Amino acid sequence: MNIRRAFSVTKRIFRGLRNDRRTIAMMFIAPIIAMFVFGLAFSGDVKNVNVVVVNQDEGYQIPSSPDPISISNKIISNFDTSVLKVDYVDTESQGVKRVQEGGAYGLIIFPAHFSSNIYAKLQNPSLPLGTTIQVRLDKSNVNVASAVSKAVGDALLKAMSQAGLQAPVTVDASNAIYAKDAKFMDFFVPGIMAFVVFLLTTLLTLISFVGERTSGNLERLQATPLRASEIVIGYAIAFSIIGMLQTAVLLTIGVLVFNIMIVGNIFMAFLVIALLAIVSLSLGILLSSLAKREAQAIQFFPLIILPTFLLAGIFWPVEAIPSWLRPLSYAIPPSYAVDATRSVMLRGWGVGGIWVDLMALFGFAVAFLSLAVWSLQRGRG
Amino acid sequence: MKQSYAIETKNLTKRFGAFTALDSLNLKIESGAIHGLLGPNGAGKTTAIKILCGLLKASSGEAYIFGKKVPDRSILPQIGYMPQETALYLELSVHYNLALYGELYGMPRSKIAEREKELLKFIALEKWRNEPVSSLSGGMKHRVSLACSMIHEPKLLFLDEPTVGVDPELRASFWEYFNELKQKGITIVLTTHYMDEAQHCDRIGLLRLGKLIAEGTPGEITRQTNTISLEEAFLALSRQEVEA
Repeated sequence: MNIRRAFSVTKRIFRGLRNDRRTIAMMFIAPIIAMFVFGLAFSGDVKNVNVVVVNQDEGYQIPSSPDPISISNKIISNFDTSVLKVDYVDTESQGVKRVQEGGAYGLIIFPAHFSSNIYAKLQNPSLPLGTTIQVRLDKSNVNVASAVSKAVGDALLKAMSQAGLQAPVTVDASNAIYAKDAKFMDFFVPGIMAFVVFLLTTLLTLISFVGERTSGNLERLQATPLRASEIVIGYAIAFSIIGMLQTAVLLTIGVLVFNIMIVGNIFMAFLVIALLAIVSLSLGILLSSLAKREAQAIQFFPLIILPTFLLAGIFWPVEAIPSWLRPLSYAIPPSYAVDATRSVMLRGWGVGGIWVDLMALFGFAVAFLSLAVWSLQRGRG
Repeated sequence: MKQSYAIETKNLTKRFGAFTALDSLNLKIESGAIHGLLGPNGAGKTTAIKILCGLLKASSGEAYIFGKKVPDRSILPQIGYMPQETALYLELSVHYNLALYGELYGMPRSKIAEREKELLKFIALEKWRNEPVSSLSGGMKHRVSLACSMIHEPKLLFLDEPTVGVDPELRASFWEYFNELKQKGITIVLTTHYMDEAQHCDRIGLLRLGKLIAEGTPGEITRQTNTISLEEAFLALSRQEVEA
């Protein structure tokens, strides 16, 4: 092992990049685009849903008040207007028709005697019947449907508390242990960092190593005193630097544009990403030995992208993945990097908290590096 | 093992599955000679060179370079290998391609600069030093590739098709240079399928379907086969093989 020869390989990669704007763009523009597109698309709440309201409530005449009090109107006034765009119709069938014509996602029906039934129930809790707000939805889009249900529920609670009708029990989740004011982006940025570095490093080394093989460069290198381990170490140095630069870019934008939360020691996050980059490039080298041409290498892309996208806990937690699929999550390296960077950035954990992730990544790195070196041994054919 | 042979092979055989690419090759190449391996595509020329460079493992038989059994890493600094493919980093300049190989052989920077100057002059690409290889023509790339394999002044050069795509004028200057190297005691093993070019070699081995079907000086081979050119000699030998 001669570190100078390994450095020559590293230098070669960086010198090559200098004349290769497309690859540089892919390394640094793609992560930024990924962060914006995914971040904004996934964090976006459902907004501006057209609903129609059928209000058959005539209100309740309290003796002391000149006008009848309408609880239904109170609830409607508490609707989150950014979520619901309300229109009114007279009957349920008109509302259904509106949904069928595509003019609305659902109708919210306040039945006749709504307010008076509520008062009756309040004054005499032993009465059997309360009343019901019917929400009839087009559930073909589950996300929209649940957003409407939630908006109605929230408005109901608000209206009740305004009327002084507080439930005797409340849930208070505001005093968080970690990540008190976390937004989706805070959760997402550590994930997308690991995702981008894993993906780009694996794909770029895969493509560049298929190139090394098909161009004859690898054979020429193998006929020099350069050892397989030095090639791999040279690549590892280059790509861990590139991985950390990508991380720096994403973090800068995360902080400046999305104002993300970084509680822990950010250098821990860089360490994790560098480890992940080493795992990824070894994987890229390994896969390159299975591909004879670039076209074959491209067939591996979905194999690398999809499991990571779906199972690594980037967009939704590993806990949300069915238990029979979860072993797959634990079998892919980015899962550990996502967990570790998130723990560092949001929980402020140090080595003590993420040592399991670090050990796992280290294990993957050692195993994949050895296999990559083995796959590059000269005279294997 | 006699030191006077730069290369010696004994029943060197390479099989890829059921296909025999090289069949019991016995070859002795003296130090300071230009030895040509001739034959059509698939004759086993490249396979032989790759085994000698340690890039492929022989299925059976042995090969020795400077008395050392191949593969042996300690031989590597003494050999230069020019693959058939371009085998250059296209996005790097001519200079950086040469410098890379200089560095890999552990040459000091000043020595690399000195060798680079000599080689650029020889391949007539001094003006292209800082251009990316991708902007060069096919023949130019070929010349850079040749230079890369010689940057460290190897004692033994393996050149796989060094003159393909090189124009006649430059090809003549290549041969001049090869002869110069020979004067310095450097051994050159090259493959070609230009039979006329093989006349310049001290000795040649004719390969066909993995077998050495003739070996000797160009003159010996034409005499043995009663032909006037190596081309005809090869065809005559092929015919004999088929009949046998």
